[in-house]
Amino acid sequence: MTAFPGAWWLSAGRDSTAVRLVAVVRLAVIMCIAAIGSFAAPLHGHTARFLLVLGLVGVPWSTSVFFCADRPDNRIAVYGGPIGDLLMLFAAQSLLNNAVEPVLLGYLVLVAFTVYTAGRSFAALLVAAAIGLTFIAHEIGPGNQQLRASITIPIFIGAAALVPLLERTTALQARATAQSERLRTRADTILTHVADAVFVTDTTGRIVLCNPATERLLRLPAAGITGSPCSAVVGLRAGERVLDCSTGCALLHHQAPEGQDLWRLTTGERRQPLLAEAAEVPGADGRMEVVHSVRDITRLKQAEEAKTLFLATASHELKTPLTVISGFASTLLKYPDLNDEMRLSAYEAISTRSVELTRIVERLLLSSRIEAGRLEVKLEHVDVMPLLRERVASYTASMHRPVTLHTSDPLPLAVANIPALTTVVDHLLDNAIKYSPGGEPIEICAAANEYALDIGITDHGVGMDADQAAHCFDRFWQAESTDVRRFGGTGIGLYIVQSLVDAMHGRISVHSAPGEGSTFTVALRRADAVPPQQPRVEGEATSIREFMRQIGVPERNRR
Amino acid sequence: MNAAVAVANIGLGLIYTCYGVMTIIDLKNGWRTNGLSHFGLAWIAMAFTCGPHHLEHGLHAGFAGGSAGALDLLAVGLGAPAGLTWFALRVEALFGGRGDRFIRGTPRWVSILPWLAVAYAAAVVAAIGWILSHGVHMTPRITPNILLLFIYSLIGYYLLRTQLNNHGPAGGWSLSGLALTIVFPTCGVMHAIFAAYAVSGSYAVESHGLVIDWLAVPAAIYFVWVVRALHLGTFTDWNDGAEGALPQVAIA
Repeated sequence: MTAFPGAWWLSAGRDSTAVRLVAVVRLAVIMCIAAIGSFAAPLHGHTARFLLVLGLVGVPWSTSVFFCADRPDNRIAVYGGPIGDLLMLFAAQSLLNNAVEPVLLGYLVLVAFTVYTAGRSFAALLVAAAIGLTFIAHEIGPGNQQLRASITIPIFIGAAALVPLLERTTALQARATAQSERLRTRADTILTHVADAVFVTDTTGRIVLCNPATERLLRLPAAGITGSPCSAVVGLRAGERVLDCSTGCALLHHQAPEGQDLWRLTTGERRQPLLAEAAEVPGADGRMEVVHSVRDITRLKQAEEAKTLFLATASHELKTPLTVISGFASTLLKYPDLNDEMRLSAYEAISTRSVELTRIVERLLLSSRIEAGRLEVKLEHVDVMPLLRERVASYTASMHRPVTLHTSDPLPLAVANIPALTTVVDHLLDNAIKYSPGGEPIEICAAANEYALDIGITDHGVGMDADQAAHCFDRFWQAESTDVRRFGGTGIGLYIVQSLVDAMHGRISVHSAPGEGSTFTVALRRADAVPPQQPRVEGEATSIREFMRQIGVPERNRR
Repeated sequence: MNAAVAVANIGLGLIYTCYGVMTIIDLKNGWRTNGLSHFGLAWIAMAFTCGPHHLEHGLHAGFAGGSAGALDLLAVGLGAPAGLTWFALRVEALFGGRGDRFIRGTPRWVSILPWLAVAYAAAVVAAIGWILSHGVHMTPRITPNILLLFIYSLIGYYLLRTQLNNHGPAGGWSLSGLALTIVFPTCGVMHAIFAAYAVSGSYAVESHGLVIDWLAVPAAIYFVWVVRALHLGTFTDWNDGAEGALPQVAIA
């Protein structure tokens, strides 16, 4: 694993930023020398050869080291870079006229940063190698090469002395850097993975730091958040008043110990309830900054509201048949001598309401099973026509409503589950009948296309607006959630329908307009359909994304 | 010869420069919502070095008595259809069109592309060998051309690898991807031919072209670095996926 004995401790705690910086500087310097040198004319002999070596060997090598420096403690970046530098300096000494002595200063610089980036042992090896290469260059280089002891010896002594001196300084700094890096990594990891939005504002109220949860909360990239005023980007409000941060962080000075219930308007003008806290922390420059922790409690609030509503509606729905059952039962007990006709009427009422009560309880139990992830549907190839005909006949007889079935016979088999599909059709028919109180006709249309079999159930009743249609499959959601509820129900019917359709690998969609009625379409997979290949036939809208797609940049779902 | 080389290079130079402008527009439009794109910046830097390189070469060949060789024309002529196809698809996407075409299966014209590429490469290598056989005067002025040959070939390799990986699951090819895959190696070959003519003494490397080619080297290195970093996941760019689909709802 190690490049040479002792490298394990050399690499420990190396300053990867310095390695990266050196790699960038190295690449820039080599490229600049090669580029500027190539303009010089005439270019023959040793100078040309050196520039060619620099351009064709130095640039690719330093580019490779620059790429490797992306990874902390990469051996090629830490050790390969200085080795390449050493060889480039040797090439300069060997190929350029009168370069042996001036290049010694280059060795000095190389040793200085190598002590810092790769450690003293490696730097000592470089010093030894530099001495050897200098003498070789003196022997093999072009004529007129000078190597005076009065210059060479002090430079090499200086280089040798630099090693322990710099090592002592850098060892202390490396330890501090490593510790600080560990703490920073820990803090970054915590901040990245915490579910709450955490952001820091400076003394002027501008956001200087934010975590990915903040990007998700505000639906903005970090670049659009940092540097912007907190009041403009986040815009916290208490009651109907915007928090005034003109004289410091308002949240910091007026918060409750367990956090404060606030809200903000989203870009879509939606009210987003939040639980927020703030605390002062010293910033990098010593000035006090404010760290904010904000939790989106929209779902919590919605769940609270939905459950409250559900309890109220479910109690009401359960109470109605129970009252009837209880009333008739009491009557039967209290008046044992009722005539047969009245007694039969009471039994019928009790029976009808019991069926209604059972249906409500079954829906609640099914909803609970779906929510707990215990819904299991065994898929088979189903002929839907007999099922649809039977349900149409049953509803027409029991509800005394005209239900019409339109089909294009023969229909192919669908991938479905008979009990689940029966429940879906029953729920949608119940819904259609409930929301068309004027007795308007109900229509079922079944048709097949290349891949799916569509079953559409249409009513011509009250219909829904866009917002209602968008939420109609939500659990406990009801179009009328106010006290004035004309249609009753627990708000779980369509949630159950969507869950069952999903379990059958189908899709459900709704097409609706207020006053015109609704069409719910269930698309089930055809049993004989080969799963469609969906090649991507459209390019990306922007050239940047298109090039990314074509060069295979992996897509990430960050937000 | 000079006129043909001039027209081909000026045309290609204008296309690449226009393409750079289009990418600037994309970057500007997406900056606010997606932040800065290093990928976009690097691509713009490359377009603004490739475009001026061809413009400069064309203008010198056409109007300043610069040199122009047959291989030069061949390289531009073979690269131009792919470059034009990619550019046309991007213009189509800019105006709300599809921006790509799916090629189902592997039609005959696609299946012969690898053989064409091999034949082309062999012909170019042979021609370069013939040019160099008349004498070689190595000069540092060809350094950027040789570096660009390797970098563009590397980018071409990345693109080819992605096309081959996508081909199986998709059951076909992306026209946009194929065009882009052809563009980069032909760009690299153009630089190789230029270097061959230069070392043989047929071309004089003028300072304007040298400046542009030396600027193209860091631009191309920056691009490769960004692509590599995106593959490694060192940073994210505009490669964030779309959000999950919602239930289908249609309102009359």
